[in-house]
Amino acid sequence: MTSWTRRSILQGVLRGSAITVALPLLDCLLDINGEAMAAGRPIPTRFGTWFWGCGINQRRFFPDKFGTDFEFKAETMPLTPHKDKVTIFSGFNAILDGQPNLTHWSGVMSMLTGTAPSQGGNGIGRAPASTLDCLIADHIGTDTRFKSLQIACTGQSSVSYSMRAGNTVNPSEIDPVSLYTRLFGPQFQDPNSGKFTPDPNVMLQQSVLSSVKESRDQLMRKVGAADKARLDQYFTSVREIEQQLAVQLQPPAPAEACVVPKAPKALEPGTTWEDATKMHDVLTDLLVMALACNQTRVFHVALSSAVSNLRRAGQSVALHELTHEEPIDAKLGYQVEATYFLERSMGVYATLIKKLDSVKEGNGTLLDHSLVMAMSESNLAKLHTLESIPMIVAGSAGGKWRAGQHINGKGDTVARVGLTIQQAMGMPVASWGTGANTTDKTVTEVV
Amino acid sequence: MMTSFAKYWNRRSTGGALLFATATIFVAAAVSREPTAAAAAERTLASDDDPASWGGPPTFRRLSEDQYKRSIAQIFGADIVVPGRFEPPVREDGLLAIGSARVIVTPAGLEQYAIRAHEISAQIVEGKRRNDDLKCAPAAPGTFDDACASQFLGKYGRLLFRRPLTRPELAAVMTLSRSAAKASGSFAKGVESGLASLLLSPSFVFRLETTEPDPLHKTAQRLDSYSLATRISFLLWDAPPDAELLNAASSGALRDPAGLQRQVDRLIASPHFEQGVRAFFSDMLAYDQFGGLSKDASLFPIFNPRLRDDAQEQSLRTIVDHLLVQQGDYRDLFTTKKTFLSRSLGALYGVKVDSRAFNGWMPYTFPADDPHSGLLTLAGFSMLDASHEGRSSPTIRGKTVRENLLCQPVPPPPANVNFDLVQNVNDPVLKTARARLTAHQDNPVCAGCHRMMDPVGLSLENFTPVGGYRTQENGVTIDASGTFEGKSYKNVTEFTHLLHDSPTVTSCVVQRAYEYGVGRKVATSEEGWLETANQGFAKDGYRFPALMRLIATSPEFERVSAARLAPPLKVASTK
Repeated sequence: MTSWTRRSILQGVLRGSAITVALPLLDCLLDINGEAMAAGRPIPTRFGTWFWGCGINQRRFFPDKFGTDFEFKAETMPLTPHKDKVTIFSGFNAILDGQPNLTHWSGVMSMLTGTAPSQGGNGIGRAPASTLDCLIADHIGTDTRFKSLQIACTGQSSVSYSMRAGNTVNPSEIDPVSLYTRLFGPQFQDPNSGKFTPDPNVMLQQSVLSSVKESRDQLMRKVGAADKARLDQYFTSVREIEQQLAVQLQPPAPAEACVVPKAPKALEPGTTWEDATKMHDVLTDLLVMALACNQTRVFHVALSSAVSNLRRAGQSVALHELTHEEPIDAKLGYQVEATYFLERSMGVYATLIKKLDSVKEGNGTLLDHSLVMAMSESNLAKLHTLESIPMIVAGSAGGKWRAGQHINGKGDTVARVGLTIQQAMGMPVASWGTGANTTDKTVTEVV
Repeated sequence: MMTSFAKYWNRRSTGGALLFATATIFVAAAVSREPTAAAAAERTLASDDDPASWGGPPTFRRLSEDQYKRSIAQIFGADIVVPGRFEPPVREDGLLAIGSARVIVTPAGLEQYAIRAHEISAQIVEGKRRNDDLKCAPAAPGTFDDACASQFLGKYGRLLFRRPLTRPELAAVMTLSRSAAKASGSFAKGVESGLASLLLSPSFVFRLETTEPDPLHKTAQRLDSYSLATRISFLLWDAPPDAELLNAASSGALRDPAGLQRQVDRLIASPHFEQGVRAFFSDMLAYDQFGGLSKDASLFPIFNPRLRDDAQEQSLRTIVDHLLVQQGDYRDLFTTKKTFLSRSLGALYGVKVDSRAFNGWMPYTFPADDPHSGLLTLAGFSMLDASHEGRSSPTIRGKTVRENLLCQPVPPPPANVNFDLVQNVNDPVLKTARARLTAHQDNPVCAGCHRMMDPVGLSLENFTPVGGYRTQENGVTIDASGTFEGKSYKNVTEFTHLLHDSPTVTSCVVQRAYEYGVGRKVATSEEGWLETANQGFAKDGYRFPALMRLIATSPEFERVSAARLAPPLKVASTK
């Protein structure tokens, strides 16, 4: 296989003689320590963020006890079957650090960028820095076909909490048919097919990208200071797609757990709970196989926007409005209608955990080789509180993360969790965050 | 908060001369940071060389989905399929046009641009609709005809980049084409790759504005001719300059006031002007929210995607007919009884529609005693609230009027407001939105902004969330009275007449049209010109095409503040 070079394929294929190369049959080895190896390569670790809008009722969400001996509450009950594989964080705060509390924005940005944002509100705005998934994708996402995937469940591609610094989101996939085509359409190389046919068009596309890239210096001279970063991002994107194509010109490594899914049926998006969760189910089926088939290692799923427009069919008011205008039930101590959604959110998250955990990889599961952080943008959405923002991590990063605990942040910055995740993902980061959110305190209980 | 509001709003009505003088001082301070200290010092004292305004920085705007598609259709033909998903637009300072100057292209976005570039290019070079300009292609396989490829790529490169390709650009695309042809053994594949690289260049995907010194004002910069042609063309057509406008840019005709006027008049007289007017109002009125808009089907069984699309189209048709076909007064848009109805809208308004004779849209005039009069009373306004699917929100409606029609930005609410009282639709005491919101206004933290938004929205409460008409909410008669700009009104009809007579309404459309064209917020030094433009708009009887002409031909429209000099254009091809 070492004799493979891009040039040798290029010359052979472009001149019209399609070359098909036999690959070694699927060959999964265990090394002497029992650690899973696929075709002699360690099983990769994946990372994802899973977002739901409008927070929690904290007394019904966080367990009373810390450590490993804790019991789930009503809003986290669906996680019970996965207790050993999840880590609950409470008591970690988004510190505003002199910035205003930008509603439904400060919390999610603080958590994902370690920085309190200065512009935005109502679920959209300017990211003060790259979000956690992008940072991790820069580290682990360069040798898969897609550096990362984003998914939203209510039909709006602008609903995404995956961003580089600035106002542009990494747009979400919202349609099962187009996501399927992107992942498993004609450009897909089945890692287990036993043969590999490089696509000559991919090579032409690569040379086009390479030519576009060459105009960079000339164009950079033409734009003003404020636009240089935007133009530069364009060329960064060009490079990333070039790398993506380069991956397609390499014979794919066998992937034990990869089973190419069937094409999904068309599905109309909607904002009712039933529509959104059905969409979540179909899109995450594809996502899980994209991970198992090594198409990507990083993802973001948004069940709803931070200003959640989820609603029950036939109800006039959506979740976000409910959190602000529904009276708190005097006896129960929470908003009953809003809680309908809140206590079901972890149930939806649990379906993703279950899917990941049912894919066998080496001597564990896909979930064991992942970290998936679920989070919302506030604690009590009614008042946009930023203390004890809910974060739950599933998985154990291939053994680098001790799951099955409830961790007490004691009022520390949320950036500690982001820092610890980066470290567990193998990134050489000693300190993370900005201003009062800066931290070098790893959550040592988990790593 | 009240104070800053009052300041903002009063500024508009300040005497023009005073405002202008103040603006000049501001500018002197602002520009002193610019490159040459000598020039800056000169500017602190008004010089005869100074222009009336200093403009703003040149912009770098990402083409919108419509602009991209329109470029392909205009340059290569309407039958070319443009595939793939576009990145969502971003609204900033009230306009997507301003957001377009701040967005980036993400890797996921670029992946889509790359797919598009190749699929479009294949259709043009190899597809059924092979381009006539490729008749020169060599017959023998494996040969490459430099002249043929260069002529083709130079011509279409100029249309795509909205300026001639530079020599290095043409050389690069030729090198690519040659090597792709060699590798694939096909001349067509080579040219196809070359064309794809043009389609994937930031010079096409973005509008990159470049500047030159202004010979009329030694201290100032202006757009170069091609960038000016592009600004004009996107303002009037929401599309790139056609060959004739590019020729006017290259020949210098656009620098001659008569030549400029001729081109602007030609663009305004063209049928494409309608798409430009639609694009502007779609942006100003935030019609992008119609995409994916839904209402609860069980509460509003009449609502469906067809009704939604028709509601948007009804408003746009009303605007286009009134402003372009009838050459009407912009202010009358708020009171006009004339509109168009489709069958689904007929059901909503309770009017029997026989639209067969009118291509689906029947012209209709609401009776004198009908409450419908003007844009705000049409379904397209009533239903355009993406955050409320089950009821109307006077606050959102009021905010929409304030921000989109009066150019009065409303600050975000404080984060820690308790909304318990506000909108409990089942409140046994506070049965109407007015009662609930009035209670809310008693909270001093909220009152400042809500006093601006709610009364306007409450005057429109007679219209349901899907645009139907109602007189009661929860069994109580809706009170649509209020005051606007110090004048009281009893109902929505009186309110729309106050809007009609408000100078804020007309100055807002002037400001937005200008900002839409230049792709940024109006600069302090431009306030004086805006006043002049307001007077010009009034003098022209508030005719919208006249306003667009005024903007497109004004020296302010091509004025830019920061130097972004294009290197002398070594033109590789002229046609």
